[in-house]
Formats: sequence, C-alpha cells, structure tokens
Amino acid sequence: MGVMRIGHVSLKVMDMAAAVSHYENVVGMTKTMEDKHGNVYLKCWDEWDKFSLQLKKADAAGMDHVAYKVEHDADLDELKKRIEAYGIKTKMLAEGTLPATGRMLQFKMPSGHDMRLYAMKECVGTAVGSVNPDPWPDGLKGAGAKWLDHVALVCELNPGTGVNTVADNCKFFKECLGFHLGEQGLVGPGGAIQAVAFMFRTTKPHDIAFLGGPTPGIHHASFFLDSWEEVLKAADVMAKKKVKIDLPPTRHGITRGQTVYFFDPSGNRNETFAGLGYLAQPDRPVSTWTEDSLWRGILFHSGEPYPAFTEVYT
Amino acid sequence: MQPRPDASPVDHARHRVRIVQTGEVYQCSEVETLLQGMARIGRKGIPVGCLNGGCGVCKIGVAVGTVRCVGPMSRAHVSEDEEARGICLACRVAPVGSVEVDVVGKLKKALTFHWGAGAAAGGAGAPRVQQTKET
Repeated sequence: MGVMRIGHVSLKVMDMAAAVSHYENVVGMTKTMEDKHGNVYLKCWDEWDKFSLQLKKADAAGMDHVAYKVEHDADLDELKKRIEAYGIKTKMLAEGTLPATGRMLQFKMPSGHDMRLYAMKECVGTAVGSVNPDPWPDGLKGAGAKWLDHVALVCELNPGTGVNTVADNCKFFKECLGFHLGEQGLVGPGGAIQAVAFMFRTTKPHDIAFLGGPTPGIHHASFFLDSWEEVLKAADVMAKKKVKIDLPPTRHGITRGQTVYFFDPSGNRNETFAGLGYLAQPDRPVSTWTEDSLWRGILFHSGEPYPAFTEVYT
Repeated sequence: MQPRPDASPVDHARHRVRIVQTGEVYQCSEVETLLQGMARIGRKGIPVGCLNGGCGVCKIGVAVGTVRCVGPMSRAHVSEDEEARGICLACRVAPVGSVEVDVVGKLKKALTFHWGAGAAAGGAGAPRVQQTKET
C-alpha cells in the first residue's frame, strides 16, 4: 500500500515543437497524446502507463509538478488524512484533471514544490508487450531511455536564517509518504546541516532527491538506461544533435550511477543514467557524505567542485 | 560547445562585443548568440549556464548597440519591463552591430550555498553562505 513509484513529471517549456523533438529524438520517448491546451504527453518504451512526461507550454522553464503513483485508490484517502494531520493542506483534483489519469491528491512539499499522488492512469503496455516479450523493441530513437527514474529538486537552504527545506522534505517524505533515506550529505559545523538527501520507495537508490540551494527549482529529471555503453551512446547522440552536454559521461559516488547530464531546449536539465547501484532497503544503513567529500559523492572521478552543476537550474 | 547547426559563423558578418565589467573584447558572428560566440573561442566573462534561455545565469544588460532575440527567454529571469530596457539572456541574443554589455546575472547562485565546495576549497569551517536576491 502507499506510494509505489514516480508516475510523471510536468516540465514547463518555452518552445513546444523543440521540446517534443528533444524528448523524442534525444531522450527517445514516444508522444502518446496532446490535450486541448496543447500540452504534450510522452512515455518511455519500457513504461506501461500512458505518460511519464507532460510538456506544458509556459513563458518560463522549470517544473510544474511531479506525481507519484500509489497502489490503491483508497490509499489517496489515507494519505490525505496523514498529510493534513502533518499540517499540510491538500486538494483532491477530480479524475480527468489530467487526461487518462484518475483523481489526484495535490499538495505542496515543505520546499514549495507542487506534488500529486494518483492511483489510476490508463495502462497502454510497454513497447514489447507482455506476452513472450522481446528484451527491447525495434526502432528506438536517441538514447532510447527505458523509464523516467526520478527527479532531483533544488530546495531552499539558508543556514543563516535557519531555513532548510531539504531536511523538512526529508522528514515529511519519511513520516507521511513512507519514503526511506538512502544517502545524505551533511555539511557545516559538526555536519549539522543536511544539505542533500536521496530517498526511495522502490528498491533502487533514489526515487527523489533534494538538493540545497538558494531558491526552489528543479535540478534535473532523470531517465534510466541499461548500461555504461548506453550512457556513452546517449552522449554521442547529444553531440551529433548539438545538444548542450552539462556533464560528460562519468560516475556519481552517491547512488553509484553512471551518468551523463544535458539540457533540454528550454534549459531544463536532463540526466540519462545506468546502474541500479545497490538494493535499497528500509533497513540498509544510510550512506553519509561529509562536507569534505561531498564533491567526491557528486563527481566520483575528479572529486573536485564543478560549480555550474549545482548553480545552474530551472 | 558547438554553434547551432544552421549557424556557420565564419561566413557571416562579425561584430565587436565588449564586456563592461572585465573589459574583455571578442568578435561574435551575427548568426550566433553572444554566449556561443564567447564560449566557442574559449573566452570567459559572461557566466555560461543552460544555453537555452531557462536558467538565467547569463543575464546581461545591453549598454551600447543592438541585439536580435533568437529564442524564448524565461520570464522568471527577464521581465517584460526589463526586456524593454535592454536586459536579456546572452544565450538568446545575437549581435546586430558592435555591442557593449553589462553582466547582471553574474552567477548569483554561485555565491550561495556550495554543497561543500567551501570546505573543499578552504579547509574546515562553516559552509560558504551569502544572502542573495533572485533577480
């Protein structure tokens, strides 16, 4: 019962045609529908629900909202009670508020990010079907991403004023939504400040990440690949298509991911990564990265600061 | 970084760009953005971010000269009023003639919490924190 996994992310884009082309031809998703407002919906080939990405036309970049899927419809009522008892207001959005999607419980994370929970989304099946399925479909484009894996959100952190919405989100996700902390970065005197937190509900190292910053935003939306070879190929695709690569193929210490980062045509950061890292379990000891090694956690090979990676986001 | 596929900078007119704060001067083709022109020849001066009009770190003010807007800029970073006053993102404008620009974005986010970079650079101590206002 409760939250199962990330369901979709809604990204704001300033040029819809360019955005659709990017997510189809670079990330390798497939457009599944378009609504009356002109928003476009896409899915990855190994996902079975109708969409995992909503592209929303806007005059700014960034994340509109992120949604996680719960197992049973009744979970929404239970979670509504729990979230409200925690002191956070919620709103139940009627079925059809998003196409092909059931009712959604909407609320704001302590960091201010708009979050939704839902139980129903139209199941259209994976690209290889469910009867004697092939391991991969023909005709994949670009990186050929398998699924939307997680989002990393920049959350306001200002030790000077005592504001730390990384820690606030971590507490809320743990106590209300049943997430577990997999890894964290502790900084400041005595490591008293939780500056980054990676949390999971599934069995992989993260289903959401919170990163401290001056203002809230989205650091990246991440898509899963099978192997290091596919990460390299994804970077080749980006170079061929003149997509701005933010961080060339490398490894994270945190989560052990093998990764490449890039920007969509509105400047929203994307990641394609491989490697499920380890089996994430509620009783697994939390991995802690200390301030002097936090960059090693982010860029395992160099271990050195790359400020643009943390300072540039939408 | 690469110029856009449709831009062949060498075949087009080039204009002088001067960054007021640093005095840095470079030549930028009229078919590439001020940021592409700068980064392509390895120059620095204007902070480089997402390159696509979304993150706002390359925000500049055009003090002298005229630029041409080549793509959408995030309204979260450049308001209509600012745009009317010559404020723009260097990744979204190409020079029409010689220009002088003020860097106003100046990696404001760079001056804030460093996720541990402060300790990596300067040993022990409190994390580097500075109050900033989002522009």
